[in-house]
Amino acid sequence: MGVNLSSMRRLRKRLPLSRQVPRLPPSRVSSMASASAPKCNSHTSENEPVKSTSQDGVNCDLNETVPRLPGETLITDKEVIYICPFNGPIKGRVYITNYRLYLRSLETDSTLIFDVPLGVISRIEKMGGATSRGENSYGLDITCKDMRNLRFALKQEGHSRRDMFEILTRYAFPLAHSLPLFAFLNEEKFNVDGWMVYNPVEEYRRQGLPNHQWRITFINKCYELCETYPALLVVPYRASDDDLRRVAAFRSRNRIPVLSWIHPENKMVIVRCSQPLVGMSGKRNKDDEKYLDVIRETNRQLSKLTIYDARPSVNAVANKATGGGYESDDAYHNAELFFLDIHNIHVMRESLKKVKDIVYPNVEESHWLSSLESTHWLEHIKLVLTGAIQVADKVSSGKSSVLVHCSDGWDRTAQLTSLAMLMLDSFYRSIEGFEILVQKEWISFGHKFASRIGHGDKNHADADRSPIFLQFVDCVWQMSKQFPTAFEFNERFLITILDHLYSCRFGTFLLNCESAREKQKVTERTVSLWSLINSNKEKFKNPFYTKEINRVLYPVASMRHLELWVNYYIRWNPRIKQQQPNAVEQRYMELLALRDDYIKRLEELQLANSSKVSSASTSPSSPSQMMPHVQTHF
Amino acid sequence: MEFSELIRTGRAQAELLRGPEAPPLRGTLCVTSHHLLLSPGTEASPDLWLLLLRSVDSIEKRVAGDSGTITLRCKDLRVLQLDIEGVEATLDIARSIEGLRLGDAWHFHPPERYYQRVARETNAWRLSEVNEDFSLCPSYPRALIVPRSVDDHALARSAGFRQGGRFPVLSYHHAPNGTALLRSSQPLTGPQKRRCAEDEELLRAVLVGARPGARGFIIDTRSAQAAKQARMTGGGTEAKAAYPGWKRLHRPLERGRPLQESFVRLVEACGDLEQSMDRWLSRLEGCRWLEHVKEALSTACLAAQGMEREGACILVHGAEGTDSTLLVTSLAQLILDPLSRTMDGFQELVEREWIQAGHPFQLRCAHSAFSHARPKHEAPTFLLFLDCVWQLGRQFPLSLEFGEGLLLALFEHAYASPFGSFLCNSEKERGLCEVRTRTHSLWSGLNQPKEQRKLRNPLYALNPLAIWPSVEPQSLRLWQGLFLRWTRPPEPSETAWEKVWQIVTDSEKTEGSA
Repeated sequence: MGVNLSSMRRLRKRLPLSRQVPRLPPSRVSSMASASAPKCNSHTSENEPVKSTSQDGVNCDLNETVPRLPGETLITDKEVIYICPFNGPIKGRVYITNYRLYLRSLETDSTLIFDVPLGVISRIEKMGGATSRGENSYGLDITCKDMRNLRFALKQEGHSRRDMFEILTRYAFPLAHSLPLFAFLNEEKFNVDGWMVYNPVEEYRRQGLPNHQWRITFINKCYELCETYPALLVVPYRASDDDLRRVAAFRSRNRIPVLSWIHPENKMVIVRCSQPLVGMSGKRNKDDEKYLDVIRETNRQLSKLTIYDARPSVNAVANKATGGGYESDDAYHNAELFFLDIHNIHVMRESLKKVKDIVYPNVEESHWLSSLESTHWLEHIKLVLTGAIQVADKVSSGKSSVLVHCSDGWDRTAQLTSLAMLMLDSFYRSIEGFEILVQKEWISFGHKFASRIGHGDKNHADADRSPIFLQFVDCVWQMSKQFPTAFEFNERFLITILDHLYSCRFGTFLLNCESAREKQKVTERTVSLWSLINSNKEKFKNPFYTKEINRVLYPVASMRHLELWVNYYIRWNPRIKQQQPNAVEQRYMELLALRDDYIKRLEELQLANSSKVSSASTSPSSPSQMMPHVQTHF
Repeated sequence: MEFSELIRTGRAQAELLRGPEAPPLRGTLCVTSHHLLLSPGTEASPDLWLLLLRSVDSIEKRVAGDSGTITLRCKDLRVLQLDIEGVEATLDIARSIEGLRLGDAWHFHPPERYYQRVARETNAWRLSEVNEDFSLCPSYPRALIVPRSVDDHALARSAGFRQGGRFPVLSYHHAPNGTALLRSSQPLTGPQKRRCAEDEELLRAVLVGARPGARGFIIDTRSAQAAKQARMTGGGTEAKAAYPGWKRLHRPLERGRPLQESFVRLVEACGDLEQSMDRWLSRLEGCRWLEHVKEALSTACLAAQGMEREGACILVHGAEGTDSTLLVTSLAQLILDPLSRTMDGFQELVEREWIQAGHPFQLRCAHSAFSHARPKHEAPTFLLFLDCVWQLGRQFPLSLEFGEGLLLALFEHAYASPFGSFLCNSEKERGLCEVRTRTHSLWSGLNQPKEQRKLRNPLYALNPLAIWPSVEPQSLRLWQGLFLRWTRPPEPSETAWEKVWQIVTDSEKTEGSA
């Protein structure tokens, strides 16, 4: 024990103690302070938005000017003027690799100005012409998917921007130039394999499946039943494979109702699917009606199955014109249908566009709250959360099993099922649990990441693009705000996921569905984002996490309790930046270390105590007194 | 506030006379938090003499030459006399006993206490008791900190030139660069543009005391227009020519009825459960409360910046100097002074800059947001201050030693309290109502050990730097913990708070047992 103690003391020396001042270089701190002071302050270049999250795990050679990932190659570099919207023009040198756009200042000791993965770029425009007058009027304007724009001015002589424009276009939109996405070139190695995180059989087994009512089927092994579904599905025991095929014919894109989650005690289930193909004539399908009844009957006492149609009822009706529709009362006697009024991908895209308009580059000052209101972004968040709460409540109260669909069942449906599962099942609130949730409900069930994000695609105005997954992560953030101890992960975890949603460094979010990924051998040829995260978990942990089993979280989805996620949406603006982020993070890391220390210490005491069998310990820190803490909280 | 802080002198040499029959006792006198101790020299009896401080009924002190005498009359009718070496020691011991025997925090005399700190930092200021009987200024405390070179006579003249007698006094001395923050009320220039040589001299002395060639800013919390209009009713503002070195800035802050109305509207909006939710944000904006928060914080930042960055002295006043003036000076101190961000420092700040500085709590907090009575003098200035502090705490989660719990408690007690701290409108009134003898101080109530977990911030780590808040509207939030307190489930945030405490105390336990 003596040895252990001294090693602990050493540890303690390295870690700043709880009451000590966070040691930050004073110059850094005061400049941070100055960045946030109101009015009349001048920004120094130190306050430049520095993108650091994508540097994780980069083994960069310090002698090199640009950090490079294994497999990354430098294509070109050029002297430019970066037109910073906050601090004005800065002379710098830009480096373009096949993965990133990297800018170093040439003015103040070559500080990093930004480091942006090319995947983040949505659009590249030329601004000004060879004859434009005025300073810095000739150059490039780059629109990013993560709420910012980058503008460069170049010299007008000799079409100097042409090279840069072409190279950027080529590597930012590789698919348009028959080049591979960077993820397929990335040779990074991690000591954890993120592709192993999600194993559907294991996840269903964790849920207690298969059981007497539900079976696992491999009918979709070759993606023949439904191209956009995973290979492995959970369906009612009483439905035969032939039944499934007949139901598939009546559901949009063959996305039949399958189980997402089952309540461990009352056995109520969440089932997901796409809209029924009712059409203008009001078609019916006996097999589909029977199948829904079979789902209902997996709980014998249930008289009704609840169907949540995520759409506004008007849209559901309008969908009949294109062959879709919803389950009518006449056809489905034993079901009750509710509309959740969540709008479609186009509305969400326009809403986020409005958010960008009021936060970048200039933040709306005078009527901030009403401008924010007019974007309707928080209202959409509210509707998504409210819908998920209803799903979770029906299931957890044992009132009914729930079937969720929207039109195709890969956008709003994924939001609703995954959020409801997050509320119901504390497993998904751990880091690995959340990864499994994303992997299962989003990636394997065919949320069309490639179309929604437009990985490597130059068509910036594609109507298929929409921030549906971002909206889901925003909802998760809102929940983590309201329940500060319920999630094992922190804000950085969520932001890192969003950064790599666009970066194309990992294979995790590439392509639209499992069958496409299998064809491209994504798991063999790319690295998983979870490898990066799980090999450095400490960084992503919430120090206040308290593990609880069986606690259902019901966030308050009232507008009064929702906030704009400033640390994500306005993170590029140095004036809005959260104060002392380093100090806070450091303090949290300290707390985590202290907690681990405490557990270690406790184990030592337990060991020491168990060796002294007969001694009636009266020490105040005796394990018997401290045990309850451990069991409930760590 | 720890009892131990009341002990001003560690020890002193003294002789104790216990009455005609008992022999005098010589030795070292100590004051502890509950006892007076005399440990005799080795040659005499080895016994320790002990007196419970609570048994002291009255205390009387006299000084002559370089020694002093304290007479203690005890509740058991004993009379004891202590002859003490050193005048300072005598006075210190007398004050310690005075403070401690009540077992209460009423002994707290912030101007004096704060002066001790200033005196350690600079020689430019002195403690004046010119307002001893409140005749000069009924809303000021008895003791005030003023430039050393200005005598009491000049202060009296300056007081005559300021509304309500509130002449410029020191609010905060910024030790790192010797600049000063002062507050006052408006000068009574009136339509004839009157001047007052002593008032001008006072402000000149402030600049001289800070640094040769120092500049100053007068932050007027009214608009230039309103300040001009005030001349019609006898008030006004400092004429530029009369105060060389001082520059005037106008930063209008809402006060009085509009502020109260904003508060009422906000509370209404927060409590309106019928209201269609998609209009919430514009309704919140319509209440203008967050705008007031923003203005208060920016003005405080301006004052703090003037001191820290420009090396200038700052004088803040509006009209009466009892509302928005105090808001600005107290917030500026929180931004600049790490000590005011500690638990004790913040309580002292509230006591000194709000209670003793004469914020009329009784008038301002007579009614809160629900009263149907026509508002007369009500205004939530103090609440606005607490909200601004909450915003600071949200932006700097590690830099304040106290948490939301303390702010909520202060809000509650300001409006209705079993303690006497927030009673009456000024020190003078509190004296007349015998508040100190007839009630308990809020601070002694709050500083009970059992309250600490609710009030303290477990994550606190001393931050020696100024904390500059971001005042963009995106950085300011509705204080949900207060305004939505009764409509949201408080458990999640309470569990989180408890959790942090647990981690911190567990780790201390580990340390203790190691």
